[in-house]
Amino acid sequence: MPLFWLLLAAFILAPCACFLLLAVSPRLFSQGSQWFTLTYLHQALTGATAVAIVNSLWVSSAAALVGIALGFPIAWLVARTTLPGRRFVPGGMWLVLLLPSWLPALGWERIVQPDGVMYRLGLDWPFVTHLIMGPFGVVLLLGLRCVPFSYLAITAALAGLGQEFEDAARVHGASRSAALRLIIPILAPAIWSALAIGFAESISDFGVAATLAYNSNFSLATYQLYAAIGNFPPSFPLAAGMAWLLVAAVAIPLALQARALRGRSYAVLSGRTRQAVRRELRGLSPYLSTAGVALFFVIALGVPGFGAVSGSLLADYGGSFSLTLANYHALFAQTNLAAAAGGGLLSPLERSLGYGAITATITVTGGFIAARLLARRRTKATGALDFLLLASVALPGVVFGAGYIFAYNLPIMSRLGIDLYQTVTLLIIAYTAASLPTNARVLVSAVSQLQPSLKDAARAHGAGAIVAWARGVLPVVSRPIVMAWLFTFCGVFLELPLSQLLYAPGSPPASIAIEDNLSTYHFGVGMAQSVLAVAIALAAVGVVLGGYRLLAPAGWRRIGSAIGVPRG
Amino acid sequence: MAGLAGACALALTACSSSSSSSTPAATTSSSSSATASAAAASKVTLVVYSAQGYDSAMTKAFTQATGIPVKLDDNSTGPLLTQIEASKNNPNWGLLWVDGATAFAGLDTQGLLMKGFEPNVAWNSLGTQSLPADKSYTPTGITLMAALAYNKTKVKNPPTTWQQLLEPQWKGQVGMNDPSQSGPTFPFIAGMMNYLGGVNAGETYFTKLKANGLVIHPTNGPTLQALTSGQINLALVQSSAAIGAALGDKNIGISYLHPVTLLPSAIGIDAKAPAAEQAEAEKFIEFVLSPAGQKVMQSGDPTGDSLYYPVLQGVSPLSSLPSLASTTTQTINPYTWGPQEGTINTWFDDNIVR
Repeated sequence: MPLFWLLLAAFILAPCACFLLLAVSPRLFSQGSQWFTLTYLHQALTGATAVAIVNSLWVSSAAALVGIALGFPIAWLVARTTLPGRRFVPGGMWLVLLLPSWLPALGWERIVQPDGVMYRLGLDWPFVTHLIMGPFGVVLLLGLRCVPFSYLAITAALAGLGQEFEDAARVHGASRSAALRLIIPILAPAIWSALAIGFAESISDFGVAATLAYNSNFSLATYQLYAAIGNFPPSFPLAAGMAWLLVAAVAIPLALQARALRGRSYAVLSGRTRQAVRRELRGLSPYLSTAGVALFFVIALGVPGFGAVSGSLLADYGGSFSLTLANYHALFAQTNLAAAAGGGLLSPLERSLGYGAITATITVTGGFIAARLLARRRTKATGALDFLLLASVALPGVVFGAGYIFAYNLPIMSRLGIDLYQTVTLLIIAYTAASLPTNARVLVSAVSQLQPSLKDAARAHGAGAIVAWARGVLPVVSRPIVMAWLFTFCGVFLELPLSQLLYAPGSPPASIAIEDNLSTYHFGVGMAQSVLAVAIALAAVGVVLGGYRLLAPAGWRRIGSAIGVPRG
Repeated sequence: MAGLAGACALALTACSSSSSSSTPAATTSSSSSATASAAAASKVTLVVYSAQGYDSAMTKAFTQATGIPVKLDDNSTGPLLTQIEASKNNPNWGLLWVDGATAFAGLDTQGLLMKGFEPNVAWNSLGTQSLPADKSYTPTGITLMAALAYNKTKVKNPPTTWQQLLEPQWKGQVGMNDPSQSGPTFPFIAGMMNYLGGVNAGETYFTKLKANGLVIHPTNGPTLQALTSGQINLALVQSSAAIGAALGDKNIGISYLHPVTLLPSAIGIDAKAPAAEQAEAEKFIEFVLSPAGQKVMQSGDPTGDSLYYPVLQGVSPLSSLPSLASTTTQTINPYTWGPQEGTINTWFDDNIVR
């Protein structure tokens, strides 16, 4: 256990702390002449940056609420009713989570921009353009991205929630909605977890800030932070000042969460949990519910799909409607050309698959440990862990990456023989550290429902500690663990800012090769590469899920799923 | 625990911030061919930070020709400069190869570049105009900011002067890049200010251009995309981007207004790199400017960075590049304009982009 804390301190706390220290002591890292100053913190609180921070705060709160407002009903419908097509929802949610956030933004822009697809179809609706290219559009996009987090958290929690609670309420005469009012507080850890992670992920999002928000002249904190680093010479101390504010911002949902969950136990999953019964939807309900869920996916997936298609399949950079595979031809031609010169996209893709798999495995292990710590009774240490993990989510990737350079490229490190900067080792460590917090939170809701009796029962029957865990606990959490693994895998596969700052020269991951094209003239080819990368990530997801279905014992998969009971 | 970690961080950095000695770069290579590594027992790996489209081809050719192992960090200019600035106290790079003299002037002012090296080549006039006085970087090619890319089907008589862009007939039809996201765009703005007589005159011009409906996109790609999709009809982008787009789309025409600003691509050597690596970097520059190197530069990225104007006598640009015979070019002093990049970009973002 001390080893775990040490690793956390070295790989999450140290880079964040080094970056934040810059705001008050630039000279420590040769970024200024002052040993101590409050100028940068002051600058971060005034002018354009202050406006950006305020925008980010309310937009992220709204997005988190949108996430739970949509995610909860969908999770409930899928887990507890006979919703038609419910088998496709988990896959669809994964797809929404997988997609880089700039892809939906791009798709929306193509539709609503002046002379965009909407206008070409004859729909002359400038009010829609104003709506999307502004705060409403930003909240919509960030909120849609929060829905999968809420869905995952609620689904995991529902999986461990037996039928007995609803039955108890019904037996005592409660109506359906009253029974629901009973259930929701039991799911409180999951709900709060979803809100907190939705808030943190939204406030640190750069994809939407750099595309939709930027083009709408609506400034967000992440973009201002990026500008502070991107201008030359970069002002790391000013960026650090803004980072302080982001870190302070996540204290809010955490404080609220702590107050709400204080003193209660949410352990409901035991050996005696009864499998939940699916409610049959009757009358208009199946159609309305299906239509609602379908609408969500059309908006969340259809628009980014259109964005990718229009960028990569249409000629004239998406200007006309003539389909062409020219960009894909160019992609493969360029791959051949580059392969002849020894580069290309094939080896970066293989590399990224490897990085993703390794990172996901390490992250899930560490995330499970962290989730266990978070799920136990709150002490000062676990409270600090909670804050540390959430604060590191709130920091954008570029800050994390720069923090790694500051922490691990110190002259004293080289003198001690620790030459980690620009090695694959440090890159994987950085990926892991960046993925661990969200991973831990996704697992918390499942883990918090584990009663100690599961492991104790196995120990009482003579199993050793590890076997007791493997036989008693693992089957129950196998599905959330697989989901968490896949989520981390996809995130790492398509990750950009950490890769840009920390990759080992000569061994570029896929995102670098793609970004090269996207940021220069070869826009269409870059889009084609992105489509290809997302497709490959999805294929990997399919392989792992298929493997789980084939290899995991049937009992593992059945835990937490509701049996459909035919009713006359 | 946070206090303990903070104290550790302070202790570590206090121990190391007083040090200014350089650290040796990695001494073994894993990326070169077998023969090279056998012969490279005494050769230091050259670490190349580059944003150029032909850099991979060039480093491979260099290793093949000289046997010197190379590690290439191929990235956009922004992340490269972030890496260099963040690792200032313990640099890992050998040479930097990007577009834009202002970046090199900035690095030079911070004392991060090796001075005094100029390869023995025959410069043409574009080359001699781009040489720095203290020889802290070496130009390797020229692109122009900004070329005017226009839609030939919609624009029969493209404008010929910068003042004409302010006329009502071009209202809402002109697009350019955002300097805080597009590296080559600040030199364009600085060049306009230089041409018009100063920062204030330049600010007036761009304010009028914005009042005439100027459309801003982040970088060359999206701006050209706006041109082809019809959102704008005149795009002010980097010459190589415009020519590359015209290669793929016959409806795009290119012309140069008078004057255009030279934007050199250049190589600068790390001042703190070990002497052996610096010597190899000099060899790299000489290779790039040799006939073999120029061939690689012109073939390594045929629809992108290879569309440059050479800085050497006896090397012709690729055939798709418009002739410069009737174009007025100007240089801006990167040492006077470079330090103003932050303030000018901020002014531009606050007043023109928003």
